Amino acid sequence: MTAWGRAADPVLICGEVRTGLLQHSESLPARAVADLLRLRPDERVRISERPNGYAVSPEVLTGVDCRLPAAGGARTRVVGTVAARAVVTEGRMLQATASIVVAGPGPDVRHPWSHYLARPGVVEPLGKLPERAVADGLLAGRARPGELDLGAVAERLLARVARHRALDQRAPFKSRRTRLRWVALRALDGEGPSLDSFTLAEDGLRTVELRLPARVSPAAAAALCEDLALHDWLLTTLVRMVERSRLGSADAPEAVLSLRPAVDHLLHLWMPTAHVDRTLAPLWDVLEREPGFTRQWQTLVQRIRDQLALQAITLRRDALTAH
Amino acid sequence: MTDAAVYRETTAQPRTQSVPLAHVSLELGHLYMEDFEGGADRLAEHFARVRPWADAVHAMAAVEARRPRVSTCFLIDDYFTRFSTPAELVPMVLAQAEKAGLTIDYLARESACAVADGTAVAEAVESRLVDSPAPGSDGSRPPARETGWLANGERAPGLETALEAMAHVAPWQPPRETGARRHSVFLDVELWDEKDGRRTWSCPFLAAVWQLARLGLLRHLGEPVLSPRSWPEAPFPRDWDDLPPVIQLNPAAAPFAAYRTWSALPTRFLPIEHAVRVLLDQIEADPQAMRQAADRAAGEGLPLPDEIPERISYVFYPGT
Amino acid sequence: MLVFAASDKGGTGRSVTSANVAFRRALAGDDVAYVDFDFGSPTAAAVFDVPEAMGGVESGGLHTYLRGKAAEPVRVDVWAETEHEVLRDRPTGAGNLVLLPGDRSGGEFAVGKDVLRRCTDLFLRLNSEFDIVVVDLSAGRSFAMDMALEVTSLPELRGVGSRWLVYHRWTRQHVIAASGLVFGSRGILAGGVARGHDEEDLANRIRFVRAAVPDPEAAPWAMVPPAQSAWMRKCDQDLNELAAQRNVGYTRMLGSIPLEPVLQWREQLITDEDVLSSRVANMETLQALKDLAQALDDDEAWGPA
Repeated sequence: MTAWGRAADPVLICGEVRTGLLQHSESLPARAVADLLRLRPDERVRISERPNGYAVSPEVLTGVDCRLPAAGGARTRVVGTVAARAVVTEGRMLQATASIVVAGPGPDVRHPWSHYLARPGVVEPLGKLPERAVADGLLAGRARPGELDLGAVAERLLARVARHRALDQRAPFKSRRTRLRWVALRALDGEGPSLDSFTLAEDGLRTVELRLPARVSPAAAAALCEDLALHDWLLTTLVRMVERSRLGSADAPEAVLSLRPAVDHLLHLWMPTAHVDRTLAPLWDVLEREPGFTRQWQTLVQRIRDQLALQAITLRRDALTAH
Repeated sequence: MTDAAVYRETTAQPRTQSVPLAHVSLELGHLYMEDFEGGADRLAEHFARVRPWADAVHAMAAVEARRPRVSTCFLIDDYFTRFSTPAELVPMVLAQAEKAGLTIDYLARESACAVADGTAVAEAVESRLVDSPAPGSDGSRPPARETGWLANGERAPGLETALEAMAHVAPWQPPRETGARRHSVFLDVELWDEKDGRRTWSCPFLAAVWQLARLGLLRHLGEPVLSPRSWPEAPFPRDWDDLPPVIQLNPAAAPFAAYRTWSALPTRFLPIEHAVRVLLDQIEADPQAMRQAADRAAGEGLPLPDEIPERISYVFYPGT
Repeated sequence: MLVFAASDKGGTGRSVTSANVAFRRALAGDDVAYVDFDFGSPTAAAVFDVPEAMGGVESGGLHTYLRGKAAEPVRVDVWAETEHEVLRDRPTGAGNLVLLPGDRSGGEFAVGKDVLRRCTDLFLRLNSEFDIVVVDLSAGRSFAMDMALEVTSLPELRGVGSRWLVYHRWTRQHVIAASGLVFGSRGILAGGVARGHDEEDLANRIRFVRAAVPDPEAAPWAMVPPAQSAWMRKCDQDLNELAAQRNVGYTRMLGSIPLEPVLQWREQLITDEDVLSSRVANMETLQALKDLAQALDDDEAWGPA
């Protein structure tokens, strides 16, 4: 048995992460987060306090019996369960991930359902699986009806958590959710993990392609992609806030004022690989070199801080001259 | 990873406690009020009929393992109807079993399958139901769930679909068992009903919980539930609520939970047990508990099916 | 903030005015969603000039979503999809303007628990993303209105602000009908109270919008013979009295949109161009729309009437 799950011979892992701001006026305390993520009465929420607040819900399963999207129109029927989990970071960010491990070729008939429930998060193909074509199919756009829709599973879980009554729905600013879809093929024997592509597609969709050794667990792969999605969301959102504030325009005080929520609620969230398996953490370096996630973030943050400092000086001068 | 992690947070990596496991858990009976009303004779007759089957189960276990661990249990219904008291009933059951040459190792209360020591066991199990998807289920919508019911296939189209299709009148369509061999045996199981805001779990649902308990697959926040407590002899309490969920009567007994279960029941329980199998087919047991059992069985060199329904067997003897 | 647009009768200009209000807010920099709950006759796409969604989308619209047949309803980015030549160039500083169309063959359907939950999720999601969410309801007491009242009464939405605009024309029948829609025995207030809303609080969140109001003092009415003019003034005065009696008077009025050929004949967005260069629309109309758009979150215009 490999860490890729209880699948006989896993060939591919894939998932979709939806990322958004937790709709609450302030960051939610750890206890309330645990309550929010208690998707099952009998399972614990995993909670970390260092290096930042981080909580993971138990996994919930959805049964599927459908085709996998595949480039070139190959039709592969799979049966099994999609595993979904919700994650809250610093009581401020909410993410939901739906993922599957695709097992190697299986028999041509469907097993009794309990067979699949003994392999949570695994889908088994009936017959052969063209893994490259499936990987491409999964990364390309929207699923057609009858094809596996991981996004819908993630969306339902996100909605379920987002309507929790502990949330006051008074977030400090408006923001859009992002979607990140990822596919990991097996790395060749003896080779380490690699990040082969990170694409900003239209309509808020991001796609990531990975190669992972068999020993990497699906949960670790999900955590890596959640981390990528979280920081991509932070960057996307802060860029938009700065854009909308018209920082550097004539009405400087108002522009700076409109960035206040970013200072209060976002700037401290930047912490790449805080909860990523350390064998996977080096994959971040690829993105730091090109396009340079942290570089762009720091530039934005510096710009905001400079403007704040300038405003503070102006205010102090005005105050002095008024006396 | 070669170097062990220095920093650890226990809340970040919760542990799941394992339970000791026998090879076989053999249920010697399931007592309802109507059985009790039949008096000691009826119990005597029951145990006499069960005895040869119990011997057969022991013999079969000996084929698989050189030193088979078989534990026996007995379930008393204190959930649907309350009758008698433990003080009166338990000694009588034990005496009649002994007369037939049977030892009851563990005795359980049915209401403990609903709530045990303050833990809502049945509710937790319900939250672990994962509906078997009909072919074509692509995840885009949630499973068509009737609240409080679980089926082994697709129901006949209901009112909503009929209304939608009003333009072209849809002919009647039968329900369909998923994975049927050509012809369907469709079963729709009621999980519970509610009256005046009080939920009553159905007999098949509690029986499914009972099977999971005997398979050692129930956990609450990582801790075992329905763990037996030692109560080797009389006196027994005068109130069912004062009796622990499961008591261990025989100090020398093999563990309560086991890789497989056998239940000896009168034939009238057949529909209930069919329903139990439909439920167990769609319950995702605690993955850690599943793994612990699988690893342990592998360590003993014993085959253990992944599928929970494959782990349970019955003897149905004639009778009502 | 959720803004529900309701009217008792058809032909009040509810959809076209609401769409113009949404457009104005987006121009002012807000992110705005326009949700077409006018099940039965989805028209918003025509107003925004989005041919793809004209008369509703083929599938995947709000009906499909509410009935649970799609995980998310289709969204149309108005700036990107419109055929309107002025709108296609998104002005600097404008916010997002997104249309959520209904399905072409939608129609009414029964509201069960699942539909309410999906509607709740939809409102929560839109509220997290948009500054203003305009929900256009069908004319009369529709199930969409019941659903809106029900969902906004849920504890899940207690932190989400919602306001109601009730449109009516400036005629006796319309004033009486609008009053009935709000204060009648089966009206918004009664329906809201039955679903757990606080009567006073809900009443404070309802305002009337007068549509297609002729101004006796302005062209062309000011040109008519004196007798006719006097008669018109009298009518206007009578209507004001009637409105006041029926609780539809000034204190509960949020805006008044003049009778405007562009809105009457060709339901469309009124751009600054239409007023300033081609001059097909009147300045007064544009100003009234701007005022109404601004009044949506002007707290002084809301509260105890």
